[in-house]
Amino acid sequence: MPPREPEPPAPPPPKAEGVAGPFHLGSLQRRLLAAALVLVTVALVVAGVAIGLVLYRFVRGQLDSRLDSQLVALAAGLERGPGDRLRLARNLDGPPFDRDRAGWYWQVRQGGTVLRSGALEGRDLAVEAGRPERDYTDRPRPADGTGPWGESLILRVLTLPPAPGVPPAILVASAPSAALRGPLREAAGALALILGLLGVGLLAGALAQIRLGLRPLERLRRDLAEVRAGDRARVPGKQPAEIRPLVAEVNALLDQNAVNLERARTHVANLAHGLKTPLATLSLALSDRSRDPDGTLASLVGSMDSQVRHHLRRARAAALGGATRARTPLAGPVADLRTTFARLYAEKGLVIDVTLPVGVTDTSNAAVACDAQDLDEMLGNLIDNACQWCRGYVRVGAVSTASGLVITVEDDGPGLAAKAAAEAVRPGRRLDETVPGNGFGLSITQELAELYGGGLRLDRSGLGGLRAALTLPV
Amino acid sequence: MKILLVEDDAPLAAEIAKALRAENFALDHAVNGEDGQHLGETETYDAVVLDLGLPKRDGIGVLQAWRGAGRTVPVLILTARDGWSDKVAGFKAGADDFLVKPFRVEELVIRLRALVRRATAHGANRVVCGPLTYDSGLGTFERDGLPLKLTGLEWRVLSCLMLRKDGVVPRGQLIERVYDGDADVDSNSVEVIITRLRRKIAPARIEGVRGHGYRLMPGEAA
Repeated sequence: MPPREPEPPAPPPPKAEGVAGPFHLGSLQRRLLAAALVLVTVALVVAGVAIGLVLYRFVRGQLDSRLDSQLVALAAGLERGPGDRLRLARNLDGPPFDRDRAGWYWQVRQGGTVLRSGALEGRDLAVEAGRPERDYTDRPRPADGTGPWGESLILRVLTLPPAPGVPPAILVASAPSAALRGPLREAAGALALILGLLGVGLLAGALAQIRLGLRPLERLRRDLAEVRAGDRARVPGKQPAEIRPLVAEVNALLDQNAVNLERARTHVANLAHGLKTPLATLSLALSDRSRDPDGTLASLVGSMDSQVRHHLRRARAAALGGATRARTPLAGPVADLRTTFARLYAEKGLVIDVTLPVGVTDTSNAAVACDAQDLDEMLGNLIDNACQWCRGYVRVGAVSTASGLVITVEDDGPGLAAKAAAEAVRPGRRLDETVPGNGFGLSITQELAELYGGGLRLDRSGLGGLRAALTLPV
Repeated sequence: MKILLVEDDAPLAAEIAKALRAENFALDHAVNGEDGQHLGETETYDAVVLDLGLPKRDGIGVLQAWRGAGRTVPVLILTARDGWSDKVAGFKAGADDFLVKPFRVEELVIRLRALVRRATAHGANRVVCGPLTYDSGLGTFERDGLPLKLTGLEWRVLSCLMLRKDGVVPRGQLIERVYDGDADVDSNSVEVIITRLRRKIAPARIEGVRGHGYRLMPGEAA
């Protein structure tokens, strides 16, 4: 019996790291989303500040022009009354200057004379002293100041230039700073709401864009999974330009794999030929009894042959296990094997019945996920075993189950006891040395089936003989 | 019975030739696919032993060429490739049987005799003609249940007639199926063999059909 080699390590399952959610560390989606978040935030802050400044200038402008028109009205209304006393031609305490202590004040100072709005209740409006040579213009200038009751005010000051015999007049109008802050605060609230909504909208758009942009990657993953599952031989080349080189590389790798597999198989075939032809010569030469009187040399040749066969099959099985798995329809190989065995066992005149269910003969969905040669190998071994042991009838059937396609091969021969059945599928075990045949058939079949994630079960058939049930993934 | 052996490995071919001649087969040997194909197309054989790994032309190609040309000679494929896919490919190309190297002489001989028998439409292992019985498993003849001792040439002639007992075997065909391709055939020698056979198989007899050939008959002429 050939020694049992250590099992080859099973290929690791695909790691799930790369396909985690959008907020997984190191994910492209997360990276793009973070960049979008930063960009949108910066844009919104800048927009907010800019719009705020514009608003401030606008409200301030409104306020200033209101005060300026009051100043113009004051300047126009100044006149010299009886006794050369400074006075106003008309009452300028119209709204909003009519409210008491509201911050809306005016004041005119010329020389020692001061005219005030009623709201000031006779108190003075403090104004910082301007530089006269520059302030003597007919344009109002802004100034800050506080009211007589300590309120914060926005001031406009107009200094009328002195005329001969007339001192300069300083005209001041004020508004409460609340008149500026109030509308600004109101606008800022609305602005923040609008910008916030805009930000959320932009981020949602960015997320949708990222999803859309990354969708080819997800499709590529599915394509690769299908390649792995054997649903397709290559990754389709119709891809976005950015992914096309990657797909080309993957396809090149797949091709390389296929070439390597083919080369390995060719090597195995060459090795088989190179070893077996001299072995055949030796075996024939030893059939001359004078050369091998007690048959020891012939049995040596037999054991060499067993070893060679066993290891060639192992080599073939090892050459499988690649990343790609072809799909093979069941109906064709079964029909071919039936013809093959009808001829191989022509002398026995046996009947091989093939009863594949309707769904299985339909080539579109009755494929198993395994290489055609390996399917031939597994089915061939099972049918060969059945043909060797049967009395004249072999039945091949198949049924779809949850775990895959179960192919059964039954015969009407003597069958196997449970213990012998367990023995039959031990690697490298040859159950009966006296019946010609490869002898490793059942254990090789089991090894191959397990490599594909399937299995082999032996029990008793309703026909009386052995029933081998081979499960293969679909 | 004459076999065409197409095998490039000289030592193996020599052993097979020796073994088959020891079992009374006539034999032609081709050392490559081209020669083999040519011989199979031009000469008459009862069966072909065809290696698959051949120089110049692969065995499968040779077989396909024969089948394409309508040659129905039984072909036994000899190969080192023992995967079922290889066997299926062989049978699909038109092979009738398959032997994986290494093999035993008995296996080859039994399979060849069975192939020849089936090719002449005899389903059962034993072919009977009057007092004569031919056992294709053992390759032996019996007359009235007793073994018949025959020389190699006698065996070839008798088996050829036996398997075609319902018809006349043309003389040329008989010569082709009895002598090796390189044998120096004396035109009278078949006549000599037939005469000796007639004595051994009586009361079965070999009837000469003038200008045509020979026919094996189960008993005395009526």
